Amino acid sequence: MDDLGNIHQIIVHLGGWDLAFNFEAMVMTWTVIGLLLLFGFFAVRGRSLVPGPIQVVGELFVFHLYGLVEDTLGKERAKTYGPLICALFMFLLLCNWLGTIPHLEEPTKDLNTPLSLGILGFLVAHVSGIRAKGFKGYAKEYIEPFPFMLPLNLVGEIANVISISFRLFGNIMGGSIIILVISHLAYSLVLPPFLLAFFGLFVGTIQAFVFTMLTTVYISIQVK
Amino acid sequence: MMIQWDAETVIKMAAYAGAGLCMGLGAIGAALGEGYTAGQANEAVSRKPELSGEVFKTMLVGQAMAESAAIFALVVAMLLLFVNFPTHSWLFAMSSLSAGLCMGLGAFGSSIGSGFPAGAACQGTTHQPAMGGRLMTTMLIGSAVCQTPAIFAMVVSFILLFSNFSAQPFNPAWAALLGAGLATGFAAIGPGIGGGLVARAACDGVARNPERAGPVTNIMLLGQAVSQTTAIYGVLISFVLIFRNNEATTLIAPSAALLAAGLCMGFGAFGPGLGLGVVAQNAVKWISRSEAGTGDITRLMLVGMAVTESTGIYALVISLLLIFVV
Repeated sequence: MDDLGNIHQIIVHLGGWDLAFNFEAMVMTWTVIGLLLLFGFFAVRGRSLVPGPIQVVGELFVFHLYGLVEDTLGKERAKTYGPLICALFMFLLLCNWLGTIPHLEEPTKDLNTPLSLGILGFLVAHVSGIRAKGFKGYAKEYIEPFPFMLPLNLVGEIANVISISFRLFGNIMGGSIIILVISHLAYSLVLPPFLLAFFGLFVGTIQAFVFTMLTTVYISIQVK
Repeated sequence: MMIQWDAETVIKMAAYAGAGLCMGLGAIGAALGEGYTAGQANEAVSRKPELSGEVFKTMLVGQAMAESAAIFALVVAMLLLFVNFPTHSWLFAMSSLSAGLCMGLGAFGSSIGSGFPAGAACQGTTHQPAMGGRLMTTMLIGSAVCQTPAIFAMVVSFILLFSNFSAQPFNPAWAALLGAGLATGFAAIGPGIGGGLVARAACDGVARNPERAGPVTNIMLLGQAVSQTTAIYGVLISFVLIFRNNEATTLIAPSAALLAAGLCMGFGAFGPGLGLGVVAQNAVKWISRSEAGTGDITRLMLVGMAVTESTGIYALVISLLLIFVV
């Protein structure tokens, strides 16, 4: 119970600036990246028409997520954005599932991870919007329907980033708090596996999917 | 005998009051949601008595989901009763009371909301007995996403319970802490109910047209996620209120502004949350019926939601102005 809300930080002094590094979030993020690279390596090694078990899992991800992106963005744009969306979903899924293993923590429990992914999606969406419509067409949308709506439209765009990242952060953080507290109150008997299955695996999957889907939708709103 | 009004007594009093309010308020919504589910199950069984076993199973699972927000409230209430909070600052009294209010109010909407898909799933089981498994999955996903506002309320109440406020000056900080609890608590109500409406339409749609189960589930998730946006604004305002640096003052006006910011965002989130839910509910309903217009309906839904949400954004702007400018 005492480690609730404790964050291990490494603080580096650099020319008058204090740079704080959240130790656990960084280590766990690199763990996830390493595991995904391993998965990718084994999935494409020895590709064949009759796929091996790991290749099947990889194909499953690619097939379903490409289908989703094609539904939202159209066939042509899916080739550009498909790999990004696939990578985003697989990264988030593994991040959210990592907490079910003892001594490991979800990197998404740290607000920095969802927020940076949210900002990434925001930048991708807006750069695609400028590329698809030209800067003039892009900027014109901010003064619609009336020019005085400009500040509210700007707040609305920034609110999108905040809502997408806080949604993921709140759910994962909330799940891990519930698991910690209920396990503590029940002396870690019987309940923890069910809580981990529900909040770790089930809610983790849903939230990874919601985040991915919202990023796709934000891109599709900008490019259309 | 005189009552000793020292910090320890007042903090204990506040914690007990918070625990009572937390569980009391938290029980309202769960009972309503579960009652709705049971009522729908009765209707379904009266239509097809031979399927009563299936309906009974669906009803129990759905009611268990609808109860989870009340269980969060129970956990917070138990902690308020049995954890000894530090007594060196009077602010801990306000933070315990606020945590209780936050979780109690926050459990209200999600519990009612997750009763809706459970009821629709009970009805759907009798319409399409073969699709029982698929309906159960849709219901579980829908109810799990409905819980998000309640989970936000729980995160905020835990931060209120276990953060250290002893460095903060009492005068504006008490209002900030109370406002933080009320902002998330009230903001969770509308989105919780709205998300439930979307999930009900999805369960209904899957039962009516099982072939469209895939797109219906996707649009349901999208609609629920967007209708929770205003609850997230509430969490944002709570975080700003909890973690800002308050300057000590003897005036009452700064405190009033902070409390008002919390109330503004809390109440301002109610309408948009519910309204966004209604938009997505209808979108899901028509997507389940016709294959042709899915893309157009989705785009119209998102544009309609963006406009519906604007009043929530006004509330967010006014709250931020109250906190940082006034």
